[in-house]
Amino acid sequence: MEQLLANPYVQPLILTAVIILVFPLVAGYIVLAERKVLADLQVRLGPMRVGPYGVLQPLADALKLMLKEDIIPSRADKWIFWLAPVLSTFTALSAFAVLPLSDRFYVADVNIGILFILAMSSIGALGLILGGWSANSKYSLMGSLRAAAQMVSYEVPLGFATVTAIMCAGTLSMQGVIQSQFERGVWGAFDNFGLMLIPTALFIIAGTAETNRAPFDLPEAESELVAGFHTEYSGFRWALFFLAEYAAIVVISSLCVTLFFGGWLRPFPNVAFLELPLSTVFPVALFALIALGCLKGVPRQAIFGFKLVMLALTGAFLLLAAMFALPVTNEIVIGLFWFVLKLAVMVYLFIWYRGTFPRFRYDQLMDVGWKWLIPISMGGLILNGVVQLLARS
Amino acid sequence: MAATTLVPPPVQDDTFLDSNELVLNMGPQHPSTHGVLRVILKLDGETVLGADCVIGYLHRGVEKIAENRTYQQFAPYVDRMDYVAAVSNGLGYCLAVEKLLDVEIPPRAQAVRVILTELNRLASHLLWLGTHALDIGAITPVFLCFREREEVLSIFEKYCGARLTTHAFRIGGLQYETYDTFEKDCLAVCDLMQEKVKEYHDLLTGNRIWVRRTTGVGILNAADCKDYGVTGPVLRAAGVPWDLRKAQPYSGYEKYDFEIPTAKNGDTFDRYIVRMQEMEQSCRIIRQAVESIPEGPIKGKVGKVIKPPPGEAYVSIEAPKGELGYFVVSDGSLNPYRLRVRPPSFVNLGALDKMCRGTLVADVVAIIGTIDIVLGEVDR
Amino acid sequence: MENIIKTFLLTDLLKGLWTTFKNQKPSKVVTEQYPLARPPVAERYRGAPRLNNHPETSETLCISCNLCALACPEQLIVVTSERNPETKRKDLTTFTYDVSRCMFCGLCEDACPVDALELTQDFELATFTREGQIWDRQMLEEGPLPVRYTH
Repeated sequence: MEQLLANPYVQPLILTAVIILVFPLVAGYIVLAERKVLADLQVRLGPMRVGPYGVLQPLADALKLMLKEDIIPSRADKWIFWLAPVLSTFTALSAFAVLPLSDRFYVADVNIGILFILAMSSIGALGLILGGWSANSKYSLMGSLRAAAQMVSYEVPLGFATVTAIMCAGTLSMQGVIQSQFERGVWGAFDNFGLMLIPTALFIIAGTAETNRAPFDLPEAESELVAGFHTEYSGFRWALFFLAEYAAIVVISSLCVTLFFGGWLRPFPNVAFLELPLSTVFPVALFALIALGCLKGVPRQAIFGFKLVMLALTGAFLLLAAMFALPVTNEIVIGLFWFVLKLAVMVYLFIWYRGTFPRFRYDQLMDVGWKWLIPISMGGLILNGVVQLLARS
Repeated sequence: MAATTLVPPPVQDDTFLDSNELVLNMGPQHPSTHGVLRVILKLDGETVLGADCVIGYLHRGVEKIAENRTYQQFAPYVDRMDYVAAVSNGLGYCLAVEKLLDVEIPPRAQAVRVILTELNRLASHLLWLGTHALDIGAITPVFLCFREREEVLSIFEKYCGARLTTHAFRIGGLQYETYDTFEKDCLAVCDLMQEKVKEYHDLLTGNRIWVRRTTGVGILNAADCKDYGVTGPVLRAAGVPWDLRKAQPYSGYEKYDFEIPTAKNGDTFDRYIVRMQEMEQSCRIIRQAVESIPEGPIKGKVGKVIKPPPGEAYVSIEAPKGELGYFVVSDGSLNPYRLRVRPPSFVNLGALDKMCRGTLVADVVAIIGTIDIVLGEVDR
Repeated sequence: MENIIKTFLLTDLLKGLWTTFKNQKPSKVVTEQYPLARPPVAERYRGAPRLNNHPETSETLCISCNLCALACPEQLIVVTSERNPETKRKDLTTFTYDVSRCMFCGLCEDACPVDALELTQDFELATFTREGQIWDRQMLEEGPLPVRYTH
């Protein structure tokens, strides 16, 4: 057994299997979180019917999508129509391989990890383009053309922002970037006397565009193009596109967290006296509070199974709190905790934009990308380079 | 996609081999055509070369129905044309028949009519704002607008028992006396609106994306407005201070002090600003009317059987969407001989092609939203 | 200069974000969970029709004058009666009301001289069949059965 675990391929394989099996569920819950947060922003309640406060909604949705009739338009190019969602999902999930979920949970620490993620997200654009083209619908075609132009354009400022961060860290490996932030004792976003905030802001803006999220959701602009590139998709194929979109959000957010917000490091990683309050007290208190909230929510609705689910949730969160209270388990999961917490904040930002901003027009999108973001990101790169050279030499 | 028979024949000139032209069939099932409007767009890439509206998917023959109903019986049907502004429709119809009958409306009934129509203008503009923002991609304002609209609708519900298709007015005056807290509720809505309009301004007016999406889009200048017969906020946004409430006051509008908001450029942003200001002016009118509401009877001298003398009457009012006219011809019997409606949505929709040319696909939905059409009224 | 700073600091966008952020307070939620929580409807609400009985004698108030049927724009009310030889008055035999065609305009209610026909606050009128929408005298007097939603 020990021999088996010592095999360098075993742990990555197990993690890969876990990611592939668990991520669809996670994506489902991100969708639920999106619906709930949007509802909060819009003075309404969001899903409330499937399970208490709608917590079982993702399972119901997944079941519905799997049971839906699989429709391929008669004039569609069947093979490409089939290939497109697969390609999108495949590339988006592949990028997970290099994500540093914590100091010990990662599939691979490749020395070109960041390049790999950027490459995968570029190929992901191909899925959108093929999907829109193969459906043989004009709305789909326009959506996919927009997707092509948008993703190519916004990769440039995204790339420049990434390059700035890489320059600051001095490595292309994801774990290496985090390590360098630990050594410098400051998150990437605040490095170089705060000048790194420029590429951080640009990364968040370009990342939103890269994942086709509002206010840059032109490829699927529902008020103009019905559903854009996936107008003709339904059922499970559509679910795959959806999965790919949320996977892309997680990947871009993870990249942002890793490059600029210290990855799995806690805030102020080099300040020793914050170790106890931030690494033990904070997570324990957080999960205990959530558990308390769940317990408080138990008797409100007299629906069958409601109590059971709420009590199970209470138990689960208490278990998590206990896990962070014990030093042995704390050491294993604390990195994951900070990573997921930062990721959650990023995803919340994405949802918040969507709930607030109107959509750009196609030409304005290009305008913002080429005339504003690219020059600013180049300027940020040069500025940071000069400052870094002067400060570190 | 598009029915091939509707594709215009290729033009025999240099651009004959230009394969960039695309005919896009938008609607009748499309999320932003506000119902069942069908627009056939001719595109070059994403640039619109021309737009053609196909209407009639909601045609119910309302004008023909009128010929088979008595005057009172037809009143509920007018609510179902512009169902967003049912009270205004009812007012226009009642005024037209009252002109035929030549009856005097008691001042109390007139004041209540003004209050309810202005409340309805608020409701209609709120719905417009929400859906217009939704078309441009901002998904939150629609919920906030519906929240405020709910307050207006609950006043309708308390006053006449229905929220949307109100049937609030009867020929000769009102059927229902106001309820106990009517005045208080109306003032509360005015206060609420004043507060909430600020929120909309925070959310949209200053927002650079909103400004860029709306400025210079769908320009219709004053001369074009007159050519197309366009009325309402679209005309006022082009700089023409034409408002029937001032130009030919009806139902006692001359008693109230209010302004006609206008703008200069006649683009989508101006129309947005004009409507936002109109909401504030409506609140102003409601306040004045509530404070000066006279006591007295609510129904004029109208018999149980309405039988106008032979003749014809045309009355037009300033509905939230523009000039709403009712032309009634009587042959002395119980039913109208002919009834014709001049719907503002239908006339304003005629300018869509003019406004769309040269813009992008995304602008088309913004323009459809900004002319504020209701398909029930377009198709009748 | 001020404008340039505002452009780069995205103040207009942050203002919008703050506006939506403020809306997240749970007390600001305005939606109701309809079948669980039923909103009160106004007193004058025009909903399901009802044929009133005399509260003490529980005889119908309807005098079979047929005015409601005449007032109805959709002509969906049918009233039949027979002459009572003793009192020389018309006795109501059947009263049919087609709710599926009704637009709840309230004209029948206004026309009724004895307040027998009334539109009530009940608004849950869905049925599984079209025939279920045609209400007879018994249905009109008793009103639709209240529906209980279990889920």
